[in-house]
Amino acid sequence: MDDSTKRILQRLMRRIPSQMLQTMLGKWAHLSREDLHSLDFTQPKWVLTEHLLALCEENGLRVKHITELEMIYIIENPNQGMWHGFQLLDAEEDAPSIELTQFKKQFKANLTELISNVSIKIKKHTDEAIWIRVAWGDNFTKPNHLKPTYVVHHLQTPYVFVTGLTSKYKPLLNQALVLATRYGSMKDAHLSGRNLTAIRDLLMRQYQQVFPTKNPKPLQEKNPVPRNPNIEKEHAENTENRLQIACEAFGDGTLPQLQKAVYKLETKFRDNSNKTLTGREEPFRGVVEFASTNLLESLRHCVSSGMASTPVTPLLSSITQKGRNYFVITDKGV
Amino acid sequence: MFKIHFRFFSVMEERSSIVKTPLNNVLAQRRSNSYRRSMRSCVEATNLGYTSGHLTALRIPRSRRTPKSRDITKQVDPDQVALLVTKEWELSYVTPLYQFRHTQLKSYSKHLSAFIVSEKQQGLAIEVGQELGFKVNFSVVLGLAETDEDAETVFIQILSRQAFAAKDDAQKVVWSGWLTCVNGDLEYLRSLPSEFVSLPLLCTRGPESLTVLVKSWFEKTFDCCFGPLGINSANLQWLAALWIGCHPNINIQYLKLVWTLPTLPPMDVKYTIHPQDAWELWHSVRQDDTTDVSIEEVTRFIKGLQSHFFRHFRIELSAGSLMQVSTALGSSHHSGKIKIASPTYITTILQLLTECALLKMPI
Repeated sequence: MDDSTKRILQRLMRRIPSQMLQTMLGKWAHLSREDLHSLDFTQPKWVLTEHLLALCEENGLRVKHITELEMIYIIENPNQGMWHGFQLLDAEEDAPSIELTQFKKQFKANLTELISNVSIKIKKHTDEAIWIRVAWGDNFTKPNHLKPTYVVHHLQTPYVFVTGLTSKYKPLLNQALVLATRYGSMKDAHLSGRNLTAIRDLLMRQYQQVFPTKNPKPLQEKNPVPRNPNIEKEHAENTENRLQIACEAFGDGTLPQLQKAVYKLETKFRDNSNKTLTGREEPFRGVVEFASTNLLESLRHCVSSGMASTPVTPLLSSITQKGRNYFVITDKGV
Repeated sequence: MFKIHFRFFSVMEERSSIVKTPLNNVLAQRRSNSYRRSMRSCVEATNLGYTSGHLTALRIPRSRRTPKSRDITKQVDPDQVALLVTKEWELSYVTPLYQFRHTQLKSYSKHLSAFIVSEKQQGLAIEVGQELGFKVNFSVVLGLAETDEDAETVFIQILSRQAFAAKDDAQKVVWSGWLTCVNGDLEYLRSLPSEFVSLPLLCTRGPESLTVLVKSWFEKTFDCCFGPLGINSANLQWLAALWIGCHPNINIQYLKLVWTLPTLPPMDVKYTIHPQDAWELWHSVRQDDTTDVSIEEVTRFIKGLQSHFFRHFRIELSAGSLMQVSTALGSSHHSGKIKIASPTYITTILQLLTECALLKMPI
């Protein structure tokens, strides 16, 4: 194994947490059972890495095997790095009937045509998602395996999720994907976050949505002593309403874990108490960023507790309804 | 035993009625005096030993002079100014120091370094590679004091030498802090007995363990008390107004305000406004550019921003608390952290913080 391959393996070993190592190596299946047993997982990681390097040398493993291990690790732990959502547009007639082998062939062919030195690995995960790992090189250099791009696509859906893509290679990846999936173009869905499952759930509406109903839920039976039944009734109705509206806007139960929502405001200043500035023609420029460990839950609580007035503004409900978290707001709308 | 002076404030006016209690007044008489005053106040009756913070909202000046930009390097050595700016400091308040002498700084340096070394070695096995020695440097920063009553600022640096450093290697500064008093309340400062020096604002930067040691040395040596100084939302708003008011002269580049809303989980709302637009809003709120800035103008400015936000998001920012205000000129955080990036308005900021420290002190 040459030096760069060794470095890739060492880097990877540093990245994988100790408790996951044994399972990862087991799934890798490039080491024989005896070899796997010979590894002592109680030793410090650097000792283990040396031992593993030796085993790989013995078995004549190469870069493509090492990158397989990395892919296994990333597929199991996708919620790291920054994922960006994209949407494919203008489906052609045969887009819905694309199947895996066709996609793989097309994608590999397209990308290698566009850029000669590139390493592609495609794998289908159990949940019907296609994972693609791309290491980019150019005419004079070998593919750089230390900075790969990962792409996740669910066939028959127009959504693509990407991490680790630089602007240099973005147009190439776009083109290869668009051609392989038989769509017309790909646009930025303005949705990004650290948690792949969250942004996927958000974009593909795979969370517990709540729809407006004509018959609201009946009040839950409790037996407290009502101090003033009229007030209690009013309050209870209001709370129920707010909770219903909050859930309609953001969902029920566990919500996808989004960390941020950014709004670039380019609207005119309007405040009745400030006559001077209200007449201004130019927009009152600013950027608002909402941040939380679980933004959708915070927003839902904001509405249900009354901190936000109902009806929920479309600016906030667009996060779930449109599946994005970056917006530019002008006076004409979102 | 030293005598302690109590200060009483009436509610509606600005701070103007500080009673100077004569040295040998009887406690009972003092209490009835304060009791009468506190009955006039709308707030809970003041318990003599419990004045800190509770009356703060009532004592904040309702207006402040428009800050004028000033080249502070004309008064203070530029090298010393450089020590204070572009770094983030953590704030504490200090009660008056008993028998602190600006002439004894060399002796204080020696004592403090001996104290630190001995405390650090207590109960620890000597490890090879640890810092072998600490050297403390007390110095005076002349020129920050504004009035005759302000004591001169004292700057403290703790340097350490690594175990294997060569003899000529410059020692590394591992901790720095400074005590200051800028435009402190004149009546209060004049009412202090002569043995006391008031430097109510402490700014520190460095590992918490050293901060604790420095504070405990001060407490032992000068019989004083330290306490954390936060910057409440009203003062953050004053700072925002101060910085936005500078915009015509210095480009503040952005005005950023951060609120935290008490949702589950808590949510931060960061609103970054274009400086020119923010300045126009501020200008529209100001009666007249030359008069003092009043608290109503500051409130109207912030409310304007909150209502523009509300029109878009329908979320009441006042349901949360303002946590941070920053511009290119500096940043301030509710937990008591301040960063002054540009020395031009340093005096105004320090004056505001000195006032906060004096108000927060228990005596």
